Amino acid sequence: MNIHVVAMVVSVAIFLFVIELVRRRRLTFKYAIAWLLVSAGAIFFAVFYRLLFACATLLGFELPSNFIFFTLFCVFVFLSLLLTVFLCQQNNRNDVMAQKIALLEFELKELKKKLKME
Amino acid sequence: MNTSVMKVLIIVPAFNECGNIGRTVEEIRKWQKGTDILIIDDGSADNTAQEARQAGGMVISLPFNLGIGAAVQTGFQFAQRHQYDIAAQVDGDGQHDASFLDKIIEPIRRDEADMVVGSRFLEKTGGFQSSFSRRMGIHFFVHLINALTGVKVSDPTSGFRAYNKKMIALFSDYYPHDFPEPEAIVVAQQAGARIAEISVVMRAREAGNSSIRYFKTLYYMAKVTLAILLHMIRIRSDRSQRPDTLSNRQ
Repeated sequence: MNIHVVAMVVSVAIFLFVIELVRRRRLTFKYAIAWLLVSAGAIFFAVFYRLLFACATLLGFELPSNFIFFTLFCVFVFLSLLLTVFLCQQNNRNDVMAQKIALLEFELKELKKKLKME
Repeated sequence: MNTSVMKVLIIVPAFNECGNIGRTVEEIRKWQKGTDILIIDDGSADNTAQEARQAGGMVISLPFNLGIGAAVQTGFQFAQRHQYDIAAQVDGDGQHDASFLDKIIEPIRRDEADMVVGSRFLEKTGGFQSSFSRRMGIHFFVHLINALTGVKVSDPTSGFRAYNKKMIALFSDYYPHDFPEPEAIVVAQQAGARIAEISVVMRAREAGNSSIRYFKTLYYMAKVTLAILLHMIRIRSDRSQRPDTLSNRQ
């Protein structure tokens, strides 16, 4: 089988898988968009692989495969950085909520105590 | 303002301090009769909350361990919600001698400072002076904070502190996490706070372990240094919109 076909099948599969995850509400659009863009790019270059080779030569890569690995590496670094940002945001929200819950719980207990005394 | 009616809150962060916290609370009550004591139980697995409550403190229990910074911040948020004029912070491990509480609150009462740090090194008072490696680390922060902000604080890692209303508002909104003490000084200074130091005597811990263990000292120093440097370049976009922060005081 031709390597281009394999590449195409794999990237289409990833693309469809992401869409399926969104459809099943396992992924929200906000988080799916980055993956959709990456897999769409992969499909594009799997079809127009000559463009990929041209890009590789233009940027001075001796082997197109090196260009692919390099690009993928950059994409994943960016994606993981993005995920860390989301993680950090979630962590902060978690902390704020924990603090608020603790404060409210205390006030609720005090109120209950007051009510009992009356 | 009449200083006698100022509402004071003593904030005691505690994480697994069973065996220490009861004594700490009782000691504070002995020296600060009638003052509200709030223990922030930072997701302890032992009976910290119960022991603190039995000793006569109010207890707020965080649902899980958030770390000392967020725990202390919860105390500021409580002080802010219930309109306290002064907040003092005392560690739950019994290191801080509550008889010095009046001394560190006094400059706040007289409106001579916005924030007071209790220092072991200001005068040769004896008492617990920490291990050699820890003292080297503290020394490093003294110079770092002085170089970056011009503030001279001799014991920047001390968690024995007092704050006025402005600082309560500032810190309930933003307080550094993990190892917050040195960074909090920088945050305060950048907000235009008047920072004062008062000489205190500290004791060695009575039970349990310090949250900063020996092999962690280096990591602690690197982390806090980085955090302080990053804080210096952080964008504080929220400040201009807030009427209650210190920057609008002048």
